[in-house]
Amino acid sequence: MSNDRENSGYGITVFRPGTPPGVKTREIIFFIILCLIILIQAFYFLFANSATPFVLGMPFGMFFIVLFIAIEFVVLLILYFLEAKDVAEGGGS
Amino acid sequence: MSWITVLIIICIYLFFILFLGSSAGRRRESSVVEYIAASRNLGFLVMYFLMGGAIFSAFAYLGGPGWAYSKGAAAYYILGYCALGLVPWWLWGPRALRAGRKFNYVTQAQLFTDRFQSKALSVIIAIVSILAFIQYITLQMKGSAYIFEVASEGRIPFWAGALIAYVVVVIYVFYGGVRGVAWTNVFQGAFMIVTAWVLGLYFAYKLYGAPSEMFRQINEASATHLLVGPGTKMSFAAFSSALLVSVLGFAMWPHLFMKAYTAESERVLKKTILMYPTFAIFMVPVLFIGFAGIMQVSSDALGAPEKILPWMFMNLKFPAILVGLVLAAALAAAMSTQDTITHAAGSIFAQDLVEQLKKEKHTDKEATMWIRVSVVGFGAASYLVAIFGGQGLVALLLGAYGSIVQLLPLAVATFFWPRATKAGAICGILVGVLYNYGIVLNFIPKFWGIHAGIQGLVLNFIVLIVVSLLTKPMDREHVRKFVTL
Repeated sequence: MSNDRENSGYGITVFRPGTPPGVKTREIIFFIILCLIILIQAFYFLFANSATPFVLGMPFGMFFIVLFIAIEFVVLLILYFLEAKDVAEGGGS
Repeated sequence: MSWITVLIIICIYLFFILFLGSSAGRRRESSVVEYIAASRNLGFLVMYFLMGGAIFSAFAYLGGPGWAYSKGAAAYYILGYCALGLVPWWLWGPRALRAGRKFNYVTQAQLFTDRFQSKALSVIIAIVSILAFIQYITLQMKGSAYIFEVASEGRIPFWAGALIAYVVVVIYVFYGGVRGVAWTNVFQGAFMIVTAWVLGLYFAYKLYGAPSEMFRQINEASATHLLVGPGTKMSFAAFSSALLVSVLGFAMWPHLFMKAYTAESERVLKKTILMYPTFAIFMVPVLFIGFAGIMQVSSDALGAPEKILPWMFMNLKFPAILVGLVLAAALAAAMSTQDTITHAAGSIFAQDLVEQLKKEKHTDKEATMWIRVSVVGFGAASYLVAIFGGQGLVALLLGAYGSIVQLLPLAVATFFWPRATKAGAICGILVGVLYNYGIVLNFIPKFWGIHAGIQGLVLNFIVLIVVSLLTKPMDREHVRKFVTL
């Protein structure tokens, strides 16, 4: 994924200028994870299109969606704290 | 005479909201930035409920249980989109915030218009937004009207219920601006969350002993109700594309997008996005109410599925005070969305349409008054559509998402692709919106049951890219301002 590399300034620009390579890699990883979470929920029926077993009082399909909502929250929480740490250290994007 | 007690509680709630919303903007300056963007200084708690109130709408509170009741597992899509709706905002929400501060934007179209140097684009976005808003707000007004109808046991007709909600909302939006919307949403959001959890679980335990027993009985009575796919109420393609169009379109709704300009800081914005999935968890017991109704009332006796929540509370021998509180919470859900949309629509009409078409610019005071007048006018237009229009609640909203998601390529191009040109942007959005409405109005056949908005979006991206590459690039320094934010 280029960051407007060598071209005339009109190429796809994903990151702000001066973003450290480590931060770029981390953001790409989180982007992929969050895309996967979205796709898993959109296509949940491939994994959990079933009423049983009932988990935490919910049908399995509903539980599966709720589980991924919880996972999404944890992923965003980690991302938030990592970014906050970067800002505190003065290296954030 | 229990209906009188119910109505008294609803009236107390309405007066409180009216007072809270109208007084929120007092002792604040009368300016466009204050009225639309709260002088860019809203903190986390207010932002959280401001955004949450928008999703905790009549669609979620009345349509959600209605879907659980009538369509079963198809309602899971509501959980998915509530949780995921703000995730794409992580990418461009902070950039929009910085752009707002740097270039003094207060609406979404101002950003895109500046990037693509096109007044025509501003007019197109304003028209698309307002058409979608009318569909969305009609949904909320119908929800409010249902509540008054049920609460008064049919004594308050549909037109009067919608009118009461319209008048209350317009008064506090007129006086309080976005601050009025925000503070009423804090109260309404907290109120809805408490009632959703307490009463959603109460039904499952009271009527069935436990939620798992409720679902076991539903599964026994109808083996396909808790599934999606062939032979159920929603096909695989319809489920996936409805969820995806909702997720991609959610943060593009102008009334949500422009809230990036109201946040105090980027951390506040990101904290709001981080906490947003909690609203989806609050939706779980709301869906339980709809599921609990399946074994209690037949669809013929109920009429519209959206009436299941009020029906449950009115017909299962609850004390009138409790019924009043629950119906007030359902009203809060409808009004907390109606107010933010009414506010945004008035702002967009005045700023993106009137201001763009006028030769001489208004002063700040005149522009603020124009917004206030537009708020009243837009509310009145929506009210007329609500009274004379048709269609079910959810179908209306899905139609609106199809056109709003067409703004996504503009956001992507603005923040990430400097080569996008004015001609590409205009052609792309026109093709996407017209294609979407072509399918919704049955001029174009639906492809594989995939949501019209997704089909329009694919065409929109293709046209934007091809036309941009075929036309002369825009000024390099100008377009790079937006990708380096």
